[in-house]
Amino acid sequence: MRNLLQLLSKYSILLMFVALEIVSLILVVRNNEYQRNAFFTSANVIAGWNYSVYAYFAQYFNLREENRLLQEENIQLQNQLLTAKNELQRVIEKKDSGYVSAELNKHYISARVINISSSKRHNYLTINRGERDSLKKDMGVINCYGVVGIINNTSRQFATVIPIINTSMQLSCKIKNNDACGPLVWNGKNYRYANLTDIAKHITVNQGDTIVTSGFTPTFPEGIMVGVVEEVSTPQGSSYHSIKVRLAADYKSLGYVSVIADRNLEEQKKLEGEYMD
Amino acid sequence: MIIVVLLQVFLFNNLQMGGICTPMVYILFLIALPKEVQRWQELLIGAALGFIIDCFTNTLGVNMSACILLCYLRPLLIKSMTQEYERLNGEINSDSLGFGVYAKLVTILTFAHHTTAILLESFTTSHLWLTLIQIVISSALTILLLLGYELLRKR
Repeated sequence: MRNLLQLLSKYSILLMFVALEIVSLILVVRNNEYQRNAFFTSANVIAGWNYSVYAYFAQYFNLREENRLLQEENIQLQNQLLTAKNELQRVIEKKDSGYVSAELNKHYISARVINISSSKRHNYLTINRGERDSLKKDMGVINCYGVVGIINNTSRQFATVIPIINTSMQLSCKIKNNDACGPLVWNGKNYRYANLTDIAKHITVNQGDTIVTSGFTPTFPEGIMVGVVEEVSTPQGSSYHSIKVRLAADYKSLGYVSVIADRNLEEQKKLEGEYMD
Repeated sequence: MIIVVLLQVFLFNNLQMGGICTPMVYILFLIALPKEVQRWQELLIGAALGFIIDCFTNTLGVNMSACILLCYLRPLLIKSMTQEYERLNGEINSDSLGFGVYAKLVTILTFAHHTTAILLESFTTSHLWLTLIQIVISSALTILLLLGYELLRKR
């Protein structure tokens, strides 16, 4: 017994080292599962507050760029307003009152990106809206160029977003002009490009084709811009194209984003969940 | 320690050279810990600092594990590198060790820390080449910054 105690005290530092390493490795592994503990991520209040102070000062450095983006978004909104007016006109003319468009159940919540990483495999961004602003897990995030990511975790005032440039993210997309669907994945290399997979060989894909969301997941409505085909190749012996897509959103200059809040999101997820489980 | 965390989180984490590497200079705080600090204290300080950095970067456990390794190796390395270990006191820097020995210490510790941190962060063996390049470049950058700081400090 004494010998055992002596042995233990002799190797106590080594034992402590091993114990601490095991604790940290458990943290790493648990963290890789999707269920991240909101308290110890950048959505937590202290870290989030620090980041929002930092972002408050940092935003002055790219005011010019932000203004340009706002102007572009403004124009897009005006265009949408115009089409909406036309639509309304048509509906009134038809006296077609029984039809409610699915779009009416959606609205946008604007948010500012206060932290972003783009050089890792598992990148995340933090935005300055949270449960207080009725944000929930799995809502989609876009900016005026296109899809940014999906909300992963929320705290009261902040939320973390998994962008397309995270190797554990898969986004269901389609090619706009022929409706061929496939998941978009990121290979962890360049933050400007991702790969569209599972597009069969017989489908013609051209450089410059537009890639949009498929609308199969409730997170994003159909037809939101994702990117443009940069390069198409067909590996020998493979029955699928290998398609390199230039992403529409530039993750190095994200400022303002919009969160798509869909009233039907939870209902659809619940219904589909019954089959998944 | 607060200053080190703030510098790392707000300045150096944003210096992502071409999306390949991030210098992690906060480990200077751990390398420079006074010799009088007990080894168990040192391990706990390393774990705490790594954990705080992890909270900011959404990489729970990654920096923590790397810092614990660094804190475990540091006294062993210092002991094996200098003959007059007993005479050392105060902070560990190039004044107490001599620049050559200090540079060697910083190089080995930084490389060990970055290898652990980056491998754990990527958590996969695909893109192994990219990860290796990332380790080498990040380590080189951190070592340059730390030794550059040491030279400036001595002026």
